[in-house]
Amino acid sequence: MSRRTAIERVVFGLFAAFMLSVPWSVPAVVSNFWVSIITEILIWSLFAASVNLLFGYVGLLSFGQALYFGFGMYGVGIGIDLLHLGFWPVFALGIVAAMAMALVSGIFAVRLTWHYFAIITVVFSLIFYFLAVRLKPLTGGDDGINFSMPPTFSIGGHEFSFTDATFQYFFILVTVALCFYLMHKVIRSPLGKAFLAIRDNDVRASLIGINVYLVRLTAFVMAGFLAGVAGALFAFFGRYASATYMFYQVSGEGVVWAIVGGAGTLFGPIIGTTLFIIIREVVSTHWEHHSLIVGVVAILVVILAPNGVVGVWRDLLDRVEERETKPAPAQQEQTRAAAP
Amino acid sequence: MTVPTLETRGLTKRFGGLTAVDDLSLSLPGGQLHAIIGPNGAGKTTFFNLISGLLAATSGEVYFRGRNITGLSAHEISRLGIKRTLQVKSVFARQTVAENLWITYEGSKRFLHPFRDAAADTAARERVDRTLEQIGLTAIARRQAGTLSYGDVALLEIGMALISDPQLLLLDEPTCGMSPAETERAVVRIREMARTIDIVIIEHDMPVVFDIADAITVMAQGAILASGNAKEIAADERVREAYLGRPEDEDYVEEAADA
Repeated sequence: MSRRTAIERVVFGLFAAFMLSVPWSVPAVVSNFWVSIITEILIWSLFAASVNLLFGYVGLLSFGQALYFGFGMYGVGIGIDLLHLGFWPVFALGIVAAMAMALVSGIFAVRLTWHYFAIITVVFSLIFYFLAVRLKPLTGGDDGINFSMPPTFSIGGHEFSFTDATFQYFFILVTVALCFYLMHKVIRSPLGKAFLAIRDNDVRASLIGINVYLVRLTAFVMAGFLAGVAGALFAFFGRYASATYMFYQVSGEGVVWAIVGGAGTLFGPIIGTTLFIIIREVVSTHWEHHSLIVGVVAILVVILAPNGVVGVWRDLLDRVEERETKPAPAQQEQTRAAAP
Repeated sequence: MTVPTLETRGLTKRFGGLTAVDDLSLSLPGGQLHAIIGPNGAGKTTFFNLISGLLAATSGEVYFRGRNITGLSAHEISRLGIKRTLQVKSVFARQTVAENLWITYEGSKRFLHPFRDAAADTAARERVDRTLEQIGLTAIARRQAGTLSYGDVALLEIGMALISDPQLLLLDEPTCGMSPAETERAVVRIREMARTIDIVIIEHDMPVVFDIADAITVMAQGAILASGNAKEIAADERVREAYLGRPEDEDYVEEAADA
């Protein structure tokens, strides 16, 4: 095992250990409030991952992922409030609604690339945002739908529900982790390699026999799945669904989080989302113009570290590896230093 | 009579008022290395784009081994075994050399597995290793393709053509921009491939064309000006006029003389 893999494993191990200890360690050091912030970070990381899957791996910059997040939310909200369904059916409803919407808009959107693609994704999300605001009886408009949580499941008479904060945290943690694991599997698969080929050179990809349209559409629906799961979890977490989360500003935040964290890397969206939500939470209590800081940080990262925070981290590891594989110059230097 | 490998009937492509390919009917028998030459703007690359499905023809038909492939999309045509390279060298720049070969090998498959580990496919890996040896890039297999020298990119392109098991290979100016030594190496590879694969090549380098081509078609203004073997083409008056004897080339000769 190289030193690089060792470092990466240790960092991942520490990260996983911390995530598992959050319900106890965080209240002990700061406060309960930060447990819910971390839960929110998990959910929004998944949303940023959906942007990242499209932009970082397939080369499609979507400014409309909030639409699928919103469909995930409303699947849950309408499912509970109007249809009186249980936890799992509404969870499924939210995800399926998001994927179906992604399929329908994807059929049109993935015919286009670059700014045309970005524009059509914004247009789709705007159309449905205004529809959601107008259809007040169904969606509650700007006020949204408030609901109370049905129990998740019961084992031997004991009911597990989101009213238990620890259960809520772990349910969200496990779901988000599963989604990231799925994404990891996809990226390493033949399909994932086709994503990268299309990102790098779509004409060449079609000439080696890849059905570019179909692969892009598949990626778009997969991204809809990730955003839908995030939206459904956020509805469970906040006990409400609202059209405001379908606005394109939310989509834009997802893009910034993914790019600053490191587009095209699995963990980039987590880092970017964590960074910006912490900035928001810390600064907004003292200063209302916290988005100024967000803007400055985003611009600085894009200019100074085009591959995001994860890109900087990888460069550091590359240097460690280089030192490992080329010990000769270092030794020379040592002998020179030792010489009188 | 055997079915020609590639046949076009009345193939036409108009861009607005410009007719890039004009009622082109061509029949290429198998087992040959066929060159298409012609001055800039003669419609050679457009012709390739029509065959490989990157452009839709305005009218006319393309047949591959007797099968009408007009109107099929690029990936469908590629899956039939018609592979091509692009005039501007074009690989997957952010992937390694080995990954470029790997995806080219897998690309033609109808189903791309979404969850199985790509690295676990031993058949593909062995084929990639073998191709790397064939093109002599084993030592730099893990380098990013975007960081390669021009000649190595060209070799990688040839590797990608090899690993995709083409039935018909369309090469668009494969030696363009190469040093004389690189050109020589590429010509050797192309000759080797031509023993088992039908190849159509667009080339500007006249010595290369006369050296390797079994048959030559000369295009000018979207139509066929002449066709025949190297001797016939070199002796053809119209070809000289339209192509070989153009003032530009004389300039070139003068420049060369000055230098």
